[in-house]
Amino acid sequence: MKSIKLISCLCVAMLSHLAYADSVGMPKNTPKAYETECASCHMAYPPGLLPNKNWQNIMQNLDKHFGNDATMDAKSLQEISAWLKKNAANWVSKYGQSSLENRITKTAWFERKHKEIGPAIWQRPSIKTKANCTACHTAGAKGDFSDDDVKIPAK
Amino acid sequence: MWAKIIFLISTSCVTLSVSAATPQELLKSYEDQSGKASAARGEQFFNTKHGKEWSCSSCHENPPNHETKHAITSKIIKPLAPSANSDRFTAQSKVEKWFKRNCNDVLGRECSNQEKADVLSWLLTIR
Repeated sequence: MKSIKLISCLCVAMLSHLAYADSVGMPKNTPKAYETECASCHMAYPPGLLPNKNWQNIMQNLDKHFGNDATMDAKSLQEISAWLKKNAANWVSKYGQSSLENRITKTAWFERKHKEIGPAIWQRPSIKTKANCTACHTAGAKGDFSDDDVKIPAK
Repeated sequence: MWAKIIFLISTSCVTLSVSAATPQELLKSYEDQSGKASAARGEQFFNTKHGKEWSCSSCHENPPNHETKHAITSKIIKPLAPSANSDRFTAQSKVEKWFKRNCNDVLGRECSNQEKADVLSWLLTIR
């Protein structure tokens, strides 16, 4: 009886997690170093959008970070890596599938969710790149990517 | 408990005294390690490509006295010239980190102290 209760609790937890999965959220304990070392050049991507394997690949190759040097001091590297590991997408999450190039924009779920967005829209000057989430996801900075908050700029 | 607090305060004071600086002090320190800075040379260096895809101005624009956008991600970059942004060139560790990252991106190598002195002296002339 006890185990049936436990399993049903787990199922409810998993379903509610899936239902709200578009709002992956930013963890409350985001280290200041994540802002200064990572989010100076791009938005502070929520760690829950990639599994730990991808995050650790990224953190171990910061001298060649998608064509740029994003190296940082050892203390920040350790602090951010540990925080990413703790908050990365797990196997239950729909974002748990790893990405071959360690890119959020190359995951199967990303391509599926954006299949209606044609090249002409991506190339609009106020969007320019798939990495610019907040150009359309007005609540993206909070880790909220629900369809209700999408506003695609006209230019 | 108190010992811990006092220790934390004293170590942060030491850190501050090591890294806090003015742009003029940083310029002098780069000049001391190379030669006299040339703002004209710095301007040319900043706005020219060096064998790779970008110049400094690809992200910071010319003159860099206003908010600009990162060439790839479109993330807002605060003004670089100290006259437009008083936070710039006030922490040595931060300045060194960005020179290392950005020089590698623009030149494929670290910048020399002379190049840093030249660029900073030009940035200090911008209003």
